[in-house]
Amino acid sequence: MSTDLARRPGLDQLLAKVLHRGTWLGSSVIALGLALPMAGWSGDSSAIICTRIVTAGIALLIILPVLRVFLMLIVFVRERDFRFSAIAMLVLAIMLLGSALSAP
Amino acid sequence: MVGAMHAGSVAWLFAVSISASALGGALGMASGVFIVPVLTMFGGLDIHAAVAASIVSVIACSCGSAAPFLKSGLTNIRVAIVLEVATTLGALTGVLLTGTLSVPFLYFLFAAVLLVSASQMMARQREILGETDVTNPRDWATVLRLHSSYPDLALGRDVFYRVRRVPLGLALMYGAGLISALLGIGSGVLKIPAMDTALHLPIKVSSATSNFMIGVTAAASGVAYFARGDIDPVIAGPVALGSVLGALLGARFLMAVSGNKLRLFFVAVLVALAAQMLLSALGIRLTGHAA
Repeated sequence: MSTDLARRPGLDQLLAKVLHRGTWLGSSVIALGLALPMAGWSGDSSAIICTRIVTAGIALLIILPVLRVFLMLIVFVRERDFRFSAIAMLVLAIMLLGSALSAP
Repeated sequence: MVGAMHAGSVAWLFAVSISASALGGALGMASGVFIVPVLTMFGGLDIHAAVAASIVSVIACSCGSAAPFLKSGLTNIRVAIVLEVATTLGALTGVLLTGTLSVPFLYFLFAAVLLVSASQMMARQREILGETDVTNPRDWATVLRLHSSYPDLALGRDVFYRVRRVPLGLALMYGAGLISALLGIGSGVLKIPAMDTALHLPIKVSSATSNFMIGVTAAASGVAYFARGDIDPVIAGPVALGSVLGALLGARFLMAVSGNKLRLFFVAVLVALAAQMLLSALGIRLTGHAA
């Protein structure tokens, strides 16, 4: 019976760590980009640089779930769980297809 | 509103997001359902811009709150990845549809989702405990080894549960993914009942698993909106940051305040927002800027 169970504490812990740290990293980068102009940093290109920093933080947050699925894929492949490797790969493909179809 | 990085508008967006998210978090609800109405009705933003900004905060809130659920063993990640095939496909469909659907239709849809949220909030008292009936050994959930258990602190033991009707669950999740991409919400309000009624997951497992899936669902459309250049960092940045901090505050608030009065207050807010959205759909605006 226990082999039927879907629980796998090792992977749970890994994903918890990655998602937690990734959210903090992305949020901190956004905070930095927003705080710099308020802290009085100004100059010719400062507004553009700050907007780019915020964009980078947003990109980090958007990439995080993609990374999460990728990590699951690696773990499934290593465990030779090919059915779930295929499922994870399919999810990744759908996520990336969206950007390919919408890129200008 | 849009344009140069305005300290005033950044502060306003940040303040609105932090309060929406804190209120939402206090009742275990995502903030997206509040962010979009507030941005469109009070911020005068176009609904597409509001949806694209909101989707980033939905991703951030899902990822930021996933860790405690994962650590406590409530999230069923196998169920999640299987259902994510359907939610991401739905999201992809939503992204491709956004340009073709009219703005009043989106407002109508949003009003409907708000009303569903309100009725669900009223009904959220019921708790289903793990059932142990025998299922067909050849059904999808058994073949995919989705059945699991979770540690129940109140009972002091592990509760086993069987997953059922995966195909129906997948169909409902496709719809949830579609709505998520169209409206910029996590659509946990649709995912949780789907898991509840189709898959028969215990409520704690469905909340944790739904929350976990929301990030991937939202990222499927987020990646596309980002690639398309729909996400304005000047709006999405402060909204995402405010939402993450608000969710942290909301979780504390949840410990301190007991549910029922807050719940009623919330239902009232949801119904009021739904009414506003319906008026917007019909082209009548009481507040904010002209459409």
